[in-house]
Amino acid sequence: MGTVEPRTASDVVFEVAGFSKRYGHLAALSEVSFSVRAGEILGLIGPNGAGKTTLFECVAGLLPATRGTVRRNGVALSADERAALLFYLPDAIAPWPMESVCWALDFTIGFFGGRADLRAEVVASLALEPLLDRTMGTLSKGERKRALIAIGLLSPVPVLLADEPFDGLDLRQSRDVAATLRAHAARGRTLVLSIHQISDAARICDRFVLLSAGRVCGEGTLDELADDAISHGHAPLDRGLEEVFLALT
Amino acid sequence: MRSRKPFVWLVRKEWRELLSSRAWWVLLALTGPLVGLSFINAVDAFSEVSAGAGTGCGAVCAPLPGIWAPTFGAYEIAAIFLLPFVAIRLMSGDRQSGALKLELQRPLSPMLRVSAKAIALLGGWMVTGLAAIVAIVLWKGYGGSVYVPEIAVVALGHLLNGALTIGLALAIASMTDHPSTAAIVTLAITIGTWVIDFAAAIHGGVWETLARYTPAAMVALFQHGLVQTNVLLIALVIIGATLALCAAGIQIGTSVRHRAWLTAGAVWVAAVLVMACAFVPGSWDASESRMNSFDEPEQEALEHLQTPIAIDVHLAPGDPRRTQFERGPLAKLRRVVPHLSVRYLTRTSSGLYEQADPGYGEIVYTVAGRHAANRMVTDEGALETIFDLARIAPAAETNDVYDGHPLVGRAAGAPLVFYGVWPVLIGGAGVWFLRRRV
Repeated sequence: MGTVEPRTASDVVFEVAGFSKRYGHLAALSEVSFSVRAGEILGLIGPNGAGKTTLFECVAGLLPATRGTVRRNGVALSADERAALLFYLPDAIAPWPMESVCWALDFTIGFFGGRADLRAEVVASLALEPLLDRTMGTLSKGERKRALIAIGLLSPVPVLLADEPFDGLDLRQSRDVAATLRAHAARGRTLVLSIHQISDAARICDRFVLLSAGRVCGEGTLDELADDAISHGHAPLDRGLEEVFLALT
Repeated sequence: MRSRKPFVWLVRKEWRELLSSRAWWVLLALTGPLVGLSFINAVDAFSEVSAGAGTGCGAVCAPLPGIWAPTFGAYEIAAIFLLPFVAIRLMSGDRQSGALKLELQRPLSPMLRVSAKAIALLGGWMVTGLAAIVAIVLWKGYGGSVYVPEIAVVALGHLLNGALTIGLALAIASMTDHPSTAAIVTLAITIGTWVIDFAAAIHGGVWETLARYTPAAMVALFQHGLVQTNVLLIALVIIGATLALCAAGIQIGTSVRHRAWLTAGAVWVAAVLVMACAFVPGSWDASESRMNSFDEPEQEALEHLQTPIAIDVHLAPGDPRRTQFERGPLAKLRRVVPHLSVRYLTRTSSGLYEQADPGYGEIVYTVAGRHAANRMVTDEGALETIFDLARIAPAAETNDVYDGHPLVGRAAGAPLVFYGVWPVLIGGAGVWFLRRRV
């Protein structure tokens, strides 16, 4: 886990304010609010079914929220302003299955106005060179995940929301991808990662938002969350993320 | 790479996806034999008619109704049973693969997104026109006559029909979660238009009016070499409306209520425009034989007729004489007479039990307050009565009479081309292309 410099309110890139999403009587999200700071890696942690994907899709404007806004400096952002700020990388998608990885990266740069200057570096850091001529539809789960992360990193916007970026990756690949993401964050890219594997989250994230049953149970650094748990009378067995998560949810 | 506009990227992407879809290759491969079958049968029938009628056979030996209407008719079948699935696959594929979720994050007008798909699909539909071009080349090779304007109008009709099908299929695919649902709904709508045609034939009245604007009726007009401004405009409005519906449907980030309002708005605007376009006058008879027009002197006399013409037709909707009258002299009169009103007077839909009624079968013309009735459903019967009542005599007929283009012979080589070479070439190209991509 990286160390986090003290941040001020002006560091906040955007705020997720009061997001709720209902499917009939089922509340998938209930008043979810948190803030995202510039250059950080924020982990959205929660078990399967916690509402992480729903939240990302609502924030990205791909799913209508029952209530809630994305704000910057207190002002609600329009759909176009959101699109200019953040890019959402869904999990378990296989876009453009008949196109090559090379084409997918070129399309990202051309259609989305992505970072052509980063292409070679991203390809190298995610070990995509041998996959460039393969079609997206023929990639294994892990290979496809790396290709998708490359698409996300080449997108031109400052914030990347990635749903389960380590899903399908083996240990070595997970570490390499984590290093790549951290390198991009170090250069000012803000990353919001939805992760259900707490060990993965602990390894890479600066701060955490704990989500359970559609509600935010805690937000902050690991130390802040541990203190929060103690102050609520749920002292964790140790100050590891797993115990803190269990204490708060 | 970056200078290219997002829309151009999108069109190129849609085109590549179309070429990568087996559905399109199947459409292309099947179009050849379909067109070939129609062409070969048409040539055989045309040859028999030509042999029987001989030289100077006139409109009987016109290639437009004899060859091109049936040959291009194959595209009507392809537009109903094949093209919708290609369009649905292109739309649903993006949704199912997750590409839509990525692409929607690039701010771009939903209408432009949908247009990119429509352009690619229309391009793909036009490529299938190669089969018709092969038929034209073969016909020319047999010594047949080719009159470009009439063939162009027929092709335009099928292009519009294809665009309508594409728009409808895209709209439905954008609103349904699964391609199979979209396919069923699209076919249901097509069958719905057939029901309208059926109801028009049985009940007449408002059904008859509606049936004039079904895709089948539109194609029939173009297949007769007739371009009617109102039909053309209505087709364009409906194509635009279907694309607008699709644009509403792909906005997955907005609420269902919002999309429903957008859909209702698009339907309302389209309905108003369709009603407005229905009254736009003007038409162009592109057929070499002028099969949609009276002879020139008669046409000119009618165009200059200032008095209104009222026609009461005592024929039931199911009576074949009514169809003959409607498609013959009445269709021509509607094009040229500025003040024409037509009433159908009938008690039943079939006319079987009205035969004994006094006046059944009569067509009563009223011109300048004078009345006359006859039972003729031909051009001559109608014109003679109208000119008598109007007290005018059209100028004598010119010598510029259409002689027809009789051709006796077989469709030599066509079976080999359409049933052999075409499927092998297209199939081979498809397999090569798809394997190269994978």
